[in-house]
Amino acid sequence: MKFAVAAALVFAAGFAWLPAGEAAPQKLVLSGASTMAPVAGEIARRFESRYRGTRIDVQSGGSSRGINDVRNGLAAIGMVSRVLKPQEKDLQAHAIAWDGVGVILHASNPVAVLSRQQISGIYTGKIANWKDVGGTDSPITVVNKAEGRSTLELFLRYLGLKASDIRPHVIIGDNSQGIKTVAGNSNAIGYVSIGAAEYEAKHRVPIKLLPLEGVAATVANVRNGTFLLSRPLNLVTGTAPKGLVREFIEFARSEHVDDLVEAQYFVPVSIR
Amino acid sequence: MREISHVEIMSSGHARGDRMVQWVVYFAAILVSAAFVWIVWDLVRGGIGHLSWTFLVESSRDAGRAGGIGAVLVSTVLVLLIALAVALPLGWATGALLAEYVPAAGGLGHTVRYSLQVLAAVPSIVFGLFGNIFFCVYLGLGFSILSGGLTLACMLLPILVSTAEAGLRAVPGAHRLSATALGMSRTATLWHVLLPAAAPALVAGLLLGIGRAMAETAALLFTSGYVDRMPDSLLDSGRTLAVHIFDLSMNVPGGDAPAYASALVLIAALLLINVLAMRFAAGWQRGKMVTV
Repeated sequence: MKFAVAAALVFAAGFAWLPAGEAAPQKLVLSGASTMAPVAGEIARRFESRYRGTRIDVQSGGSSRGINDVRNGLAAIGMVSRVLKPQEKDLQAHAIAWDGVGVILHASNPVAVLSRQQISGIYTGKIANWKDVGGTDSPITVVNKAEGRSTLELFLRYLGLKASDIRPHVIIGDNSQGIKTVAGNSNAIGYVSIGAAEYEAKHRVPIKLLPLEGVAATVANVRNGTFLLSRPLNLVTGTAPKGLVREFIEFARSEHVDDLVEAQYFVPVSIR
Repeated sequence: MREISHVEIMSSGHARGDRMVQWVVYFAAILVSAAFVWIVWDLVRGGIGHLSWTFLVESSRDAGRAGGIGAVLVSTVLVLLIALAVALPLGWATGALLAEYVPAAGGLGHTVRYSLQVLAAVPSIVFGLFGNIFFCVYLGLGFSILSGGLTLACMLLPILVSTAEAGLRAVPGAHRLSATALGMSRTATLWHVLLPAAAPALVAGLLLGIGRAMAETAALLFTSGYVDRMPDSLLDSGRTLAVHIFDLSMNVPGGDAPAYASALVLIAALLLINVLAMRFAAGWQRGKMVTV
């Protein structure tokens, strides 16, 4: 009996609670890249406090999901952490920030620089030991991103490879996971968002970022455009944005959110 | 002569074997406790410094690095309550049906049991995708606490049903015969005799279910979502503790300390729920049955 009463009470309370008090707020759903979700969440919070009566819900799950959710209408705005592909030309992209992708090694690894050919050789399995690129005699652990991740696609385009060419030992999802994997294995090589790696390296996580083509992998070099492996973080819409969608995108691209973008270790679009 | 010596050898062999098994059992038990202690110790070490009253009540800021988990806790409790409110009556009723109302080997019982076994083996990400398509898109609930709770309810059903059925089956047949002899109706027998007698099993199932629900990440990321704001209604998206911990440790640089603290809160909450549920079950049993 107690159970039945408790269950009934919970349900009654729930349904009484359903219609949200005042006039329904204007609601906007964003969904997509996990890299962008934290920064978008912060921008949404500031937007809500500026424009009373709006609700911006940010959902995570990956760039591909952002594209899907915009196409099937589950989200008004998708978050896609790369440039749109030719088959995605039905959508419109609005960059809100820039992010760099850097190659990381364990801090104890003596290798200080790798050429594009060497990285390509390591990721295709042609180079399997660190001694072939000037390191110690130990096997290389190749850490790759999961299929569908924008970082992977950017990295492949830079190396001129296909996803099927890669011979990975470990497959990871989000940036912090990649950093933890490399920090825990002194023979590992991986690639992650530069901002995240720079932050962790500063906080004594044992990883180091390698320069690419002689340019140091730093947020500063992504900002001044000299670092090659960089990508836009895009808000994506199905049609030309109007109303609340447009207001939000304009706000997210404005200098009002520069501090939020920089706090998540990205480069604001209004600067570059 | 030969017989006796054989028996002697057997018994000394038995004693040695018994001792060895005893050691193995002890060792296994110690290993299990050590794993638990190690996990808790690791969480306490990493999270206790970040833990405070404000951490428990504030909403998160700066992608979870600052602020607290107040809104996340509220969402977690709401998702859990919805899941239990839906799954408990359904699950325990189905368990009672399987144990008391249909023959063990009958067609209906077999079908229900088989579909539950399949359901129990489905990975949670599949529940997530199903919940996303059915509750969020088809029923139009969107990313919401309601969608998340209903998806979780689907996941909990197999656990609740099978534990309830096993618990009811374990009640001695003499209870049923005595109740019938006293002229009690079938419903009264179930309510006043069988369910209280099976209460420990029901609670064990409930705790397993709560554990699975609190730990769920994949299914909830797709249904109740990622929003870490205080929910205004059950139709709002709300981030649960497990999703919060996953995001902080995998996606947010510098999110480790709050992730540890959140995990510590999660473990503490589970321990608390365990203790309360055990107490409640014991009380229920005492209230209904004088002696068991």
